[in-house]
Amino acid sequence: MAEYVYDLDSVSKLLNRIIQYNSSEKASNWLQQRRDVQQTTNAISQFNQTFTAIPRFVGKETINVQPEDLDQLSILVPEFFVQGWTLDRLVRVWWLLQLPASNKNDYVAAIENLFNAAEMNELAALYSALPLLAWPEEWIARTSEGIRSNIGIVQEAIMLNNPFPANYLSEPAWNQLVMKAIFTDKPLHRIVGLDRRANAALANILTDFAHERWAAGRTLDPMQWRVLINFITEDNLADIARIASSVVPAEREAAAIVCTQTKFEPAKKLIPADLADAVRNGEINWNSIAEKTIK
Amino acid sequence: MCGIYDLTEKDLQPLTYTPAFLDKIKGMRFFDPHVHMTARTTDDYQAMADAGIVAIIEPAFWLGQPRTGVDSFRDYFSSLLGWERFRSSQFGIKHYCTIGLNSKEANNEKLAEAVMEILPQFIYKEGVVGVGEIGFDDQTALEEKYYRAQLELAKEAGLPVQIHTPHRDKKKGTQRSMDIALEHGLEPHMIIVDHNNEETVKEVLDRGFWAAFTIYPFTKMGNERMVEVVKQYGSERIMVNSAADWGISDPLAVPKTAALMHESGIDLNDIHLVTYANAVKAFAQSGQIDEADFDLAKNIDQSEKFNGSSILRGGQQPRIDKNTTIIR
Repeated sequence: MAEYVYDLDSVSKLLNRIIQYNSSEKASNWLQQRRDVQQTTNAISQFNQTFTAIPRFVGKETINVQPEDLDQLSILVPEFFVQGWTLDRLVRVWWLLQLPASNKNDYVAAIENLFNAAEMNELAALYSALPLLAWPEEWIARTSEGIRSNIGIVQEAIMLNNPFPANYLSEPAWNQLVMKAIFTDKPLHRIVGLDRRANAALANILTDFAHERWAAGRTLDPMQWRVLINFITEDNLADIARIASSVVPAEREAAAIVCTQTKFEPAKKLIPADLADAVRNGEINWNSIAEKTIK
Repeated sequence: MCGIYDLTEKDLQPLTYTPAFLDKIKGMRFFDPHVHMTARTTDDYQAMADAGIVAIIEPAFWLGQPRTGVDSFRDYFSSLLGWERFRSSQFGIKHYCTIGLNSKEANNEKLAEAVMEILPQFIYKEGVVGVGEIGFDDQTALEEKYYRAQLELAKEAGLPVQIHTPHRDKKKGTQRSMDIALEHGLEPHMIIVDHNNEETVKEVLDRGFWAAFTIYPFTKMGNERMVEVVKQYGSERIMVNSAADWGISDPLAVPKTAALMHESGIDLNDIHLVTYANAVKAFAQSGQIDEADFDLAKNIDQSEKFNGSSILRGGQQPRIDKNTTIIR
């Protein structure tokens, strides 16, 4: 098992550059001073205090990121996403990279301790940092635990634009993430790895779920059908037929994409004729459906 | 908590009130600096938001029965900073808290020691606006020990202190609480003495402390009495709160008291001070309250439409019609 699975030094420097770009001089100086103290004393209490105090000194403005920095970040840590973050969150994530990680037990204990005493925004920052934490396998159970959170911004930090769950969660835990995202009205198209981690068990859970919703007279997020593309069978073909003739335009469009992309021949016959071209030329795609139904 | 009270058949009928008091306070903003929301329902949050409450402070207290381990405290403190804060935000109310070891549980020395050890991990968190509620219950030696220790903690952190004054032997307990705080070198303007009544208020104000009044049926202040207190003592350094919890209490005590004050001819500016501004000023000494955040919390529009679909912003909760028998 590796300590860091990416180029720590480059990422830390890049995040620092984005922080500098978004910080006042006063905030920069404070951070620099905290880092110097950290590097000389290596005291865990000061590390924790700084982590907690960050918003007081750097503020909570939404950050601006230069396109070239985004490009570089996406090369260093694929699918890691900082757009739309507030500065305090970015600084907290960067600060976590300053914690020595070579002693695995000490490192894990220190991070776990931060989780256990975290307030709402600290939790969001900690979960946002998952793709960058050392010893990634150590955070799998913690991630599953976080998915059970009832706090909206914590759920979002794990579920949306975060590559860690798709890379590390077991299939049951992954399926739980997707279902919890659906139950809490999250924009599913922002789940990293939604297509890659699709599986037969999840497809079954989703069709059962659809039956429940229909029985209750409730609606569905059309995006959920995306998971079925490679898992259409005789058993769920009727469900696909149902959405292909739905009165809700986004559902018909979802059915059109699913039926176009599936390899299950009987489903191909269900492509709504009036949408076939628009799907083929890309005019209708998952993002255009998300636009219509966005949460 | 409910005291001894003779219930009549009338008291047991379901309430069918129309909140007429809301008209009198339309457009006013309130800050309830003492309310235990972990014990309350989402209906309460909705009603509080509707009545103009924009921000609240939830002091750490006991839970109706003693805890047996430090982890229960840890989880309780983090629920005040996490889940409860989020729950409140869903109704557009900014949630702050004070963190401390309450006087009742200070009597379990072994546990109290363990709690003292974890307190520094929590009092520096964002949105922690004081050390509280601490002070005396039975006025035992152990209560005094941990009261003093937490005063030192507050001093070091530069945080205000929210003092719970005892039900029994109240006057003496209140005096003693103030004496000890001064002994530890805390400034009176950093101390909010809570649960005052007609017997304690004069000395608290004369000595320069903040005087908080809890409007709580049967056992603490009634709001008619509160009107008289403000008429007599004015609005300087006085604030009202509900201390609503798992007992028979009223999370709308602050707006209702404002309405009654208005009806009783108290000046609007004085009402503003005792139901909003004084509490903001007292607890903002923590450096953790920015009034602009109240608006930010409020601005979450429940019914915002995007491309024709109804959406909920920032986890905002949908409103349900309570007046229908149909539940969907």
